[in-house]
Amino acid sequence: MNNPMITIKHVLTVFLLLSSINVFADGMVVDKVYHPYVIANEQEFEWRFMSSQTPDSNVLAQRLGYGQSILENFAIELYVIGERDETGDFKLQATEVEARWMLTEQGQYWADWGAVFEFEKRRNTSQYEASAGLIVEKEFNKNSLTVNLFVIKEWGNNIENEWEAEFRLQYRYRYLPSLQPSIEIYTGEDFIGIGPGFMGVKRFNGQKQLKWEAGFITEVAHSGKNHTLRFSIEYEF
Amino acid sequence: MYSQPKNLSTALKNMLTNALTAFMYVFLFIASVWISLANAKDDKKIYHLSIKHHIFTPTTLTIPANEKVKIIIENHDDVAEEFESFDLNREKVIFAGRKSTIYVGPLPEGTYEYFGEFHPNTARGKIIVVEMKP
Repeated sequence: MNNPMITIKHVLTVFLLLSSINVFADGMVVDKVYHPYVIANEQEFEWRFMSSQTPDSNVLAQRLGYGQSILENFAIELYVIGERDETGDFKLQATEVEARWMLTEQGQYWADWGAVFEFEKRRNTSQYEASAGLIVEKEFNKNSLTVNLFVIKEWGNNIENEWEAEFRLQYRYRYLPSLQPSIEIYTGEDFIGIGPGFMGVKRFNGQKQLKWEAGFITEVAHSGKNHTLRFSIEYEF
Repeated sequence: MYSQPKNLSTALKNMLTNALTAFMYVFLFIASVWISLANAKDDKKIYHLSIKHHIFTPTTLTIPANEKVKIIIENHDDVAEEFESFDLNREKVIFAGRKSTIYVGPLPEGTYEYFGEFHPNTARGKIIVVEMKP
């Protein structure tokens, strides 16, 4: 147990096995790639947008969130989630609480480790989703490789009671603060997607800063059109 | 398989059981990683920076190339400061009257700038990375 590399290999092996679980597609796999860092005394507002187009559907999801760090290494965020329903109306569909936990000091070990926990409840129905994710980030000079491994449990009325696993990867080049191009990969729910992205940050006085992220992910495991555009804006203060 | 909870207490019980199972499963792995990392040997070279009157001292710190080092920053001011550097990819709040540690490297030779986000006009410095002969 005293060799961190052996433990890390065990953890990655288990999560990769979980990632191979084949499950029915009932949600959007493309989302945000989480980084394992929490900044003390930080508050933020966040807006996320995801639009996915296939020959049969045009899924739209947006979320608004407010979060703040409550410890030097622990942050909580609350979201309201809106989605386009089967009739084409865009409505508030769910609420979510999220906790991010920075497990190791940045740069202290071979890689940086964090965890994220989410609990979502669908509006006006007894449908729930709980997820727990492990976040790993490794720096190579001006490059950062980030991996998210999620285990997800869905249950409730009129929904299949199931376990799912999702894998997200982002390879980012920290070119300029305002422009950090990346390649992103998402797998889960019978979906494998890859595509380019970028993120950036503009700093203002004190802890105030504006962060943006975008990505255009194409599903590659099946024939036919399946593109997802995602972007998010965070105002931290 | 579809679950149809018969009443509120059954639904609540199912919810808690499922959530706890999911969270405990991952928590155990995270805990094992954390304990292993906490026990790992920390033999990095240590450097010191201090903040006084919103100025980092020394303003230029020289560290070895291709080696991970530990920098302990002590804030002597009565307000917090945030160590911020895009070059080093580090961002860390240093609370008033407290010490904090950042880990830097391994880095190639070069000059890496940083600043204090709360007092960017005065709190500025450089870390110079050079090849050092053993």
